[in-house]
Amino acid sequence: MTGAAGGMVQSGRRAFLKWATAVGGALSGLLAGVPALRAFLSPTFRHERQEKWISLGEAGAFDLDTPVKVDFVDSANDAWVETRRLRNVWVYTEDGERFTVYNGRCTHLGCNYFFDDTEKVFRCPCHTGYFDIKTGNVLGGPPPRALDVLEVKVSDDGVLQARYEDYRLGVPEKTQV
Amino acid sequence: MSPFRWLDERLDLRGAKRDLLDREVPARLTWWHTLGSATLTVFLVQVITGTTLATYYSPSPDHAYDSVRYITEHVASGTLLRGIHHWGASAMVILIVAHMIRVFSVGAYKYPREVNWLLGVGLFLVVLGFSFTGYLLPWDQKAYWATAVGTNIAGTTPFIGGALVALLRGGSELGAATLARFYAFHALWLPLLLTVIVSLHLITVIRQGIAARPHALEVGAPPRTSDAAYPAYYREAYAATKRGGMRFWPDILGKDAIVSASVVLLIVLLAVLFGAPLEAPADPTDTSYVPRPEWYFLPIYQLLKLVPGSLESLVAVGVPTALLFAMLALPFFDRGSTRNLLHRPVALAGLVLLLGGSGYLIGAAGPAPESPPLEGPPLSSVQRAGRALYQSQQCGGCHRVAGQGGEEGPDLTGVGLRHSPGWLHSFMESPSRFHAESRMPAYAPPALSHQEIEELAQYLTTLRGRGDQKAEFYDTFPPPRRP
Repeated sequence: MTGAAGGMVQSGRRAFLKWATAVGGALSGLLAGVPALRAFLSPTFRHERQEKWISLGEAGAFDLDTPVKVDFVDSANDAWVETRRLRNVWVYTEDGERFTVYNGRCTHLGCNYFFDDTEKVFRCPCHTGYFDIKTGNVLGGPPPRALDVLEVKVSDDGVLQARYEDYRLGVPEKTQV
Repeated sequence: MSPFRWLDERLDLRGAKRDLLDREVPARLTWWHTLGSATLTVFLVQVITGTTLATYYSPSPDHAYDSVRYITEHVASGTLLRGIHHWGASAMVILIVAHMIRVFSVGAYKYPREVNWLLGVGLFLVVLGFSFTGYLLPWDQKAYWATAVGTNIAGTTPFIGGALVALLRGGSELGAATLARFYAFHALWLPLLLTVIVSLHLITVIRQGIAARPHALEVGAPPRTSDAAYPAYYREAYAATKRGGMRFWPDILGKDAIVSASVVLLIVLLAVLFGAPLEAPADPTDTSYVPRPEWYFLPIYQLLKLVPGSLESLVAVGVPTALLFAMLALPFFDRGSTRNLLHRPVALAGLVLLLGGSGYLIGAAGPAPESPPLEGPPLSSVQRAGRALYQSQQCGGCHRVAGQGGEEGPDLTGVGLRHSPGWLHSFMESPSRFHAESRMPAYAPPALSHQEIEELAQYLTTLRGRGDQKAEFYDTFPPPRRP
């Protein structure tokens, strides 16, 4: 192609090809990159939780005014592997009718706290956190918030059940993990 | 000072742009010249999708299949990602073959590009290696059995077959060690190898320039590229092709980007529409599964069906090896200076034969069967005796199995799923006890011995249809005979 007209066609062609390089490159990158990025970031926005109601025992059989620890085996889906973990909760009732069930992990760093029979408090052995057995409130030590209280119900046949849930540790707000 | 100027002062970015992007290229290059860059683009797509898939994949027989299921069911865009990787694999094979055909057709492997042709053959082998190793990773039936057959083919190699199988499988059997080494090759070794060879391939292209149209290098050329005068002729003729004022960017790169983006778009479209297959988990005990390789290995798979057994190892190993040597030897034997394919009858005939033959064999292999055809596991000696009785007693005169036989009696296809051997034994002894109106003769002694009836019953239990259904017996026995 020669002459001014040819030159103009040529420069128009070049401009188009420059534009095509940018658009084509970006398009290819996005088409593969977006699904890849979404998949990689998937754990940050895809929360798949199944409701996990655990049976803790006959509601009428719990000691009054003394917390009882209940262990249970939690079979959880760890990605593509099914794992079993031993978990525990503490059950407290004053009158055998209203129940408070605490997640068994200390809200500080997740150690298993225990019931101190002489002082009538929950005590965490790791960093000596103290909790009130009636409310779960922090009485002393580093824990940033009260014990995590779980949702409870008593089934028709009188079995106490709790919806097990783990919460983020070490932060003042009670947020699900 | 702007960041660009700061960097430019140190790294000479303008110089790099001048050498890489602004370099002059031969005039009138075709759209076929975009195939190489499209292959590279798809490789990058495979890297992006593959590395992401690897973050959720577990290369162990216990977990491989479940982790792939997890990707499709629980990972955001997981299905799409697998689909892109799956279709990208096919696209890569198609593109690299098309690229090789283009290079072959314009004689671009001839002087001075022999080395780059060899690097290209290396890349082709690496891509096939990717396909072969990647196929096993989902650890489903297809993956397991296709790899079992593929490694067995390698095992037919004369002299070193046994060692080759052990090397491929990491042991005598296909299993955990196989999966681990296939994964290591697929995700570590081969990408590294490919990256190195691609880099050399590209550096060579930049140093030698893009191959010009054949015609421009044929006029007045010495007859052979090995002639002493050829290098000088080539230098001059090639330099002349660059006088059209074409530059790599945007004249070439623009077209490359258009084709690459279209290919990626097509791959994503196929991924959205068809996804990636995942069959039942690998079951090494299921001998009824009929494996089938990925389509680009079909020519050799189909070829094996056409040759007598004695020649099988020769064909299975010999044909690919011969092709490989032919590709490697090509630039050193074909030294005519003619580049246009239409003026190279031998090359043209060879290409037509190779492509036509492969196409014919892929066509002959036909579409993948919807489900594995009827074929049972290997029979035990008792079952084989029963099968012989089935034939000698002319059972097929009245009964059908898999569409063969008479229609008078009930179809026995899948009878092994419906009845236990005990029930079948009793029934054959005296059918009229079970169905008063049955016209089947009683085979109780002396017609057949109890041994023979049992053999027959054992054979009938192997008739289980396609082999993927669970047996569910509904045996109803008549009331016991009154004495």
